[in-house]
Amino acid sequence: MFCFQCEQTTRGPGGAGCATDKGVCGKDEATADLQDVLIHQLKGIGQYVSRLRGLGVADAPADSFILYGLFTTLTNVNFNRARFVEMIAEAARLRDRLRAAYEAAAKAAGQQPEILAGAAAFAPADNVAGLLAQAKAASVIVGREEVGEDVIGLRALLLYGLKGVAAYAHHAEVLGESRDEIAIGIAHALDVLASNPTDLGGMLEEALALGRLNFKVMETLDAANTGSFGAPSPHAVRTTPVEGKAILISGHDLRDLHELLEATKGTGINVYTHGEMLPAHGYPKLREYPHLAGNYGGAWQNQQVEFAAFPGPIVMTSNCLIEPQPLYRNRIFTSGPVGWPGIRHVANGNYGAVIQAAQALPGFTKTVEGPALTVGFGREAVLGAAGTVVEAVKSGAIRHFFLIGGCDGAAPGRNYFTEFAEQAPDDTMILTLGCGKYRFNSHDFGTIGGLPRLLDIGQCNDSYSALVIATALAGAFNCGVNELPLSLVVSWFEQKAAAVFLTLLALGVRNVRLGPTLPAFLTPAILDILVSQFGVLPITSAEADIEAALAPRIAAE
Amino acid sequence: MSEITLITRDGAKLGLAAAPTETVLEAAEAAGLFLPAMCHEGSCGLCAAQVTQGDYALRGGAREAAPDGAIPLCLCMPQSALTVELPYPQSGISHHSVPTRMAEISGISQAGSGAVILTLALRPDPEFGTAADFTPGQYMEVSIPGTEIKRAYSLTNLPNWDGTLEFLIRLQPGGAFSTWLAQTARPGDMLSLRGPVGRFVLDETSPRPRVLVGGGCGFAPLLSMLRHLADFQDMQPTHLIFGANTEAELAVAAPLEDLAAQLPNLTVCCAVWHPEAGWEGFSGTAADALAQYLDGDAGQPDIYLCGPPRLMEAVMRVANERGVPAARIYSEQVQAR
Ligand SMILES: Cc1cc2nc3c(=O)[nH]c(=O)nc-3n(C[C@H](O)[C@H](O)[C@H](O)COP(=O)(O)OP(=O)(O)OC[C@H]3O[C@@H](n4cnc5c(N)ncnc54)[C@H](O)[C@@H]3O)c2cc1C
Ligand code: SF4
Ligand code: SF4
Ligand code: FES
Repeated sequence: MFCFQCEQTTRGPGGAGCATDKGVCGKDEATADLQDVLIHQLKGIGQYVSRLRGLGVADAPADSFILYGLFTTLTNVNFNRARFVEMIAEAARLRDRLRAAYEAAAKAAGQQPEILAGAAAFAPADNVAGLLAQAKAASVIVGREEVGEDVIGLRALLLYGLKGVAAYAHHAEVLGESRDEIAIGIAHALDVLASNPTDLGGMLEEALALGRLNFKVMETLDAANTGSFGAPSPHAVRTTPVEGKAILISGHDLRDLHELLEATKGTGINVYTHGEMLPAHGYPKLREYPHLAGNYGGAWQNQQVEFAAFPGPIVMTSNCLIEPQPLYRNRIFTSGPVGWPGIRHVANGNYGAVIQAAQALPGFTKTVEGPALTVGFGREAVLGAAGTVVEAVKSGAIRHFFLIGGCDGAAPGRNYFTEFAEQAPDDTMILTLGCGKYRFNSHDFGTIGGLPRLLDIGQCNDSYSALVIATALAGAFNCGVNELPLSLVVSWFEQKAAAVFLTLLALGVRNVRLGPTLPAFLTPAILDILVSQFGVLPITSAEADIEAALAPRIAAE
Repeated sequence: MSEITLITRDGAKLGLAAAPTETVLEAAEAAGLFLPAMCHEGSCGLCAAQVTQGDYALRGGAREAAPDGAIPLCLCMPQSALTVELPYPQSGISHHSVPTRMAEISGISQAGSGAVILTLALRPDPEFGTAADFTPGQYMEVSIPGTEIKRAYSLTNLPNWDGTLEFLIRLQPGGAFSTWLAQTARPGDMLSLRGPVGRFVLDETSPRPRVLVGGGCGFAPLLSMLRHLADFQDMQPTHLIFGANTEAELAVAAPLEDLAAQLPNLTVCCAVWHPEAGWEGFSGTAADALAQYLDGDAGQPDIYLCGPPRLMEAVMRVANERGVPAARIYSEQVQAR
């Protein structure tokens, strides 16, 4: 196995990458290898889909399969080896069907169909041992000796960014929003990867194109979320239990939450959000369910302790899943792309078993009162207050904005983001996005110009909202985003953050601080390009970075 | 106080301190680590581990050592710093005390000669509700009502939310629990149980084929495991070797027919040691059947083994001789040494 797609990857003197029998995240060697095989097949499927699109033929099931397949390989999503064996067989059948469709479409158009080699021609073995033997040739580092680290690094940046794009697109698709240009862009990126590109400049261009595509995807996801559940608005979320039977739902998928709320209507069972599901309370059509009782626990890193203590079943709808402990193995359920061997999967919105578990388990025996967390500062809510914000900036009440976004790793004692938020001076405003915020969102930051100093925009899935806010502020001040008194701090953990990062680069947003450590696949040469051409700043210490951000900008920067 | 270092099968080191009159088990529990144990009197063998360094005394006086030199930690009182190698991984150590539950007998039925299927309905509990929450392969300690006598029985059904526990019990002639079950127990009786306990469970992350070997009442936990695999539509090759003394004992294997239909990659070998004339299946012990299987095209399987000591020893020998590493053998003994 070899995997270096996330921030917590093993870093040793011999280089970075999880390469033993188990990754830091708990992904075992067989699962990692089977994921590599599936990715290889998806590249082949992308080759055909891309060519079919060139002939004007769309194939919706193939587009969906690509999104779902890529999503299952993100960090902390699917650890179920058996599921990958099934998907590999499914991918092989799909590829055969696409090949036939492509050849027929080419002939119908009077063209000679290309005979595709490489990933498109890959024949997976019909048994696990055979597939594992094939995995080496499908690894992200295949050919490293010949093409060099930089080529491998940029291919990895493309592939991992693409995985993030696919995850966002999948979340939008399950809510009924898909776009042809997204499917075309994703198939194109797979086709590029299938060609084993070696031209660094060309790959960088592709990465920026992927960043632009992701902007479209984020916009589509925003449309899917707000279209289905209304525009988020500020809402104080209960963080303490209400007496009664209880279900906990974690991950990012709002459709799953909605289905669960429907399925539990009138059962007397309360539903609590966990981790990245917290921002769901911002949506009017979700919180109108009276049994969406509150939020329980903190970020995904704490799940083993928090799930064990929760007195009901748990549903994990997307990343980030960690190995379920014996204390709650029988009462945790996965849905969508998520999986773990021996853990029950909810398919097709059938929550019967979850409800049965909730009724059998004790639930909370006491109602407890406690502090609330305010969420729901989406673009509409923030822009609704834009007049106040602009005034506050002009009067000097708000000196600067910090947008702290992205995911957070599990390593304990990593305090950069907490320190950053806590040390930011009182006349600065903090906007949060993604799960980095759990490190400090229980802290009281006070108010500024009548607005809370800490505004939570939502999940990492809501980055679009943040970009709209930044663009609108730039409009109000009649300047570009880079001239705003705004600093972006991106805490990257997994591949969705890689996609957002590419979007920021593609939109020309400069001075993005990236941490807590830099992606292991970014070689010194690639980093050099990011720093010199895109103004990317690796993080240093909270104190120094705040000082640097607040220092007067040099006009010529 | 003496320092004790526990080393788990997967290499984790845990430190404790114990007084000279305290057993390793007591010291561990005082530190919030609940090691596998049951009888607390040196007879069930569940707590046994290798003491590789240091001096100790045994509570109740010296006794004959087990053939493999393992020491019952429920009796072992350190007299110097001790290093103890535990035969299970760190996950085998619970950080929570084992729950005690009440249950009502809901059914007692015969499963061929000399074996009984006992079904219990758990009483709702403030902490666990009605859930029968366990991992296939685990067991419960059941008390004989009105006595201090406890016996371990493996669960044969699947975890469920309505509180049903099912056991497959071979009646031992003259045995305390066996006699109570055969003569006194009636549906509606209340029992006290402690559990679930035990680390004899499937390693579902392993990509290897599996061989399940069970003899005597050792079939019980394997039945739950097979039901679990069927429930999850498992596709990994699994070979079951069921060892019986006589054909009459095969009656308890009746559920296998259904399971084989649900598990396309399950193969079954019933090994009968003393068959009647006309038996067409495998004649010999479970260990003989395993030898034959491993000598064929078995791949590199994980072996799950459960049965009485004699069978366990014979099977271990067969596996060792064929180079199966100890880390790929998961076992549980179902009878006191
Ligand atoms: C972890 C574990 C799991 C177990 N799971 C099961 C199970 O699922 N089903 C089941 O039937 N039993 C199981 N047992 C065995 C069970 O706990 C009892 O030991 C058994 O039922 C005998 O109890 P008893 O009170 O009837 O006999 P006891 O009063 O304890 O013993 C009476 C006599 O029978 C002998 N004896 C005890 N057990 C056996 C045996 N297995 N074979 C031959 N002689 C024996 C004793 O040495 C003694 O001489 C398990 C044991 C352990 C440690
Ligand atoms: S996802 Fe991260 S932790 Fe898991 S194997 Fe890959 S690099 Fe390692
Ligand atoms: S924001 Fe990223 S790290 Fe955080 S839970 Fe979501 S996917 Fe995981
Ligand atoms: S608990 Fe030590 S031998 Fe039984």
